[in-house]
Amino acid sequence: MRDLFNPTPEHKALRDMARSFVEAEVEPQALEHDRAERFNQPLFRRLGDLGLLGVTVDERWGGSGLDAVAAVIAHEELSASDPGLCLAYLAHSMLFANNLSLNGSDAQRARYLPGACSGALVGGMCMSEPDAGTDVLGMRTSARVVDGGYVLNGAKMWITNGALDDHTLGDVFLVYARVEGDARAALSMLIVEKGDAGFSLGQRIKDKLGMRASGTAELVFEDCFVPAERLVGERGAATLHMMRNLELERLTLAAMSLGIARRCVEIMNSYASDRAAFGKPLRDYGQIQAHIADSYAAYMAGRSYVYNVAASLSLDSAGNRVDSDGVKLYCARMAKEVADRAIQVLGGYGYVGEYNVERLWRDARLLEIGGGTNEAHQKNMTRDLAKVRALR
Amino acid sequence: MKIIVTAKRVTDYDSKVIPTADGKAINFDNVDFKMNPFCEIAVEEAIRLVDAAGEGEVVVVAMGDEEATQEVRKALAMGAHRGVLVECDESKLDSDAVARMLVKLCQDERPDLLLLGKQAVDGDSNQVGQLVAEHLGWPQATFAYKLSVEGKGATVQREVDGGVETVRLSFPAVITTDLRLNEPRYPSLPNIMKAKKKPLETMSPEDLGVALGAPKVEVVSYGLPSSRKAGQVVDSVATLVSKLVNEAKAL
Repeated sequence: MRDLFNPTPEHKALRDMARSFVEAEVEPQALEHDRAERFNQPLFRRLGDLGLLGVTVDERWGGSGLDAVAAVIAHEELSASDPGLCLAYLAHSMLFANNLSLNGSDAQRARYLPGACSGALVGGMCMSEPDAGTDVLGMRTSARVVDGGYVLNGAKMWITNGALDDHTLGDVFLVYARVEGDARAALSMLIVEKGDAGFSLGQRIKDKLGMRASGTAELVFEDCFVPAERLVGERGAATLHMMRNLELERLTLAAMSLGIARRCVEIMNSYASDRAAFGKPLRDYGQIQAHIADSYAAYMAGRSYVYNVAASLSLDSAGNRVDSDGVKLYCARMAKEVADRAIQVLGGYGYVGEYNVERLWRDARLLEIGGGTNEAHQKNMTRDLAKVRALR
Repeated sequence: MKIIVTAKRVTDYDSKVIPTADGKAINFDNVDFKMNPFCEIAVEEAIRLVDAAGEGEVVVVAMGDEEATQEVRKALAMGAHRGVLVECDESKLDSDAVARMLVKLCQDERPDLLLLGKQAVDGDSNQVGQLVAEHLGWPQATFAYKLSVEGKGATVQREVDGGVETVRLSFPAVITTDLRLNEPRYPSLPNIMKAKKKPLETMSPEDLGVALGAPKVEVVSYGLPSSRKAGQVVDSVATLVSKLVNEAKAL
């Protein structure tokens, strides 16, 4: 029988490798980094040694050259232990490396991708602003054409990997902006490096509910000069890059939800065997059975949906929007609900950090907001479904 | 330098293994499989030795059904150069049959070294390395926790009760690995992809001159360990001694 979740032996080998690495190296540090709100950069670099940072990047640029299914596997496995670290991984590998690998020139790829694949550089992508989130075309960051390049002004908000610690900027970012005079929907993408004059760390965003092992920041551009060779693709053509990359972003965010859900199912399942009340194991009680069985079925439904979409998602073209929105809409909510059930099954133990489901529950919540709110997915899907009469 | 190394597919030590209802076999439903951890250490050591020598090859061998290809590929992804899968019905294998097939393979391949895990974590037999060495008349060092190669031989430190024993042997030789010899690497994703293109030869036991009949060792039954009885709290040393003498009959 064909294995939907491991379609080739190489996918299976990737999952085995990722899982044993996660169990031995990622799991032991997850709770501590969540508590300290600290990004574990040395561990992140090790993901580069394993070839995971450039999972979808072509081998020519130091990547592993794999497909969307491989990206989903990597995110699912990492997120089962440490969604915060996995979010930093996603921002770097999907939003920066995969995006530049698809849309950049060879000169740009050669300059940034080998470092991004090894982990020497930590990258991110800048779309949201303090006053524009779901309404992305409402962004106000502007680029003025000057001799030899552009002058960037504005601020970007909620940028994962924006800060590596309280004071240090991430290394390199893909920044969406509108060149002055261009149409509302004609966005452009510029590469901004740490050290560019006029580029600075606004606020490091602390006290997040979850995903605390990733560094989130506001980034500020004040008369920041960006040379012309750092324009990615054509001027005004980046809205398409954005849409294309958002599909993979949403798919892998859904994969993160799967990791969270799987772990929560495992934890509540074993707890229900080990813990007894009134003389019999918890799993013999119907109320607990509902939590475990409903969680498992919802997890497997989401997992099947994600891997089905991943199998048909090509990295270099848009066209899966209904389902890339759909997997995230379904799985983000599913993971939150499964984590919530896990807390309920564990009772008091579920409410404290040591048993992990408390942290996973907090991390799960972000996935209904980041990379598209539930409401944004509903809006997109309903608009696209208006063109469909019958579902095949 | 040429090394043959084994990669046995075993049940994952994190999986819960239970006997079948008749107690004659193991129920493998919902059980994961992995490379035997001691084999993984042997593979890692073989790769390091050949890398250090600057020439030679690591040939990895697995025995079992087609699924065992995964363990061969994993060793190839870690850095072994080529693989051999002896495709057979694993239920017909015992230490003796495995050893006889390895003997033939060593006679054909003529390696400097055969490296194996000291035992597999499923059967825990701890016999194959010793049997092969005996059949071939090669020197052997089991339970290696440090290993260094000098010229056409090796110095091996073995963990024994109460200390460390150092032995020197000349090649060709058989060495089995203990837990602390090294920490195996994770195969990187690019190397997983490259492993797909490395040569992997499939053989049958007959190709190695071994006819698998009934194993020499017959498993009579499998059973779960008996569950531990609840402990007791005693109020005095005198009660403790009396219980140890009269109830536990330990004194």
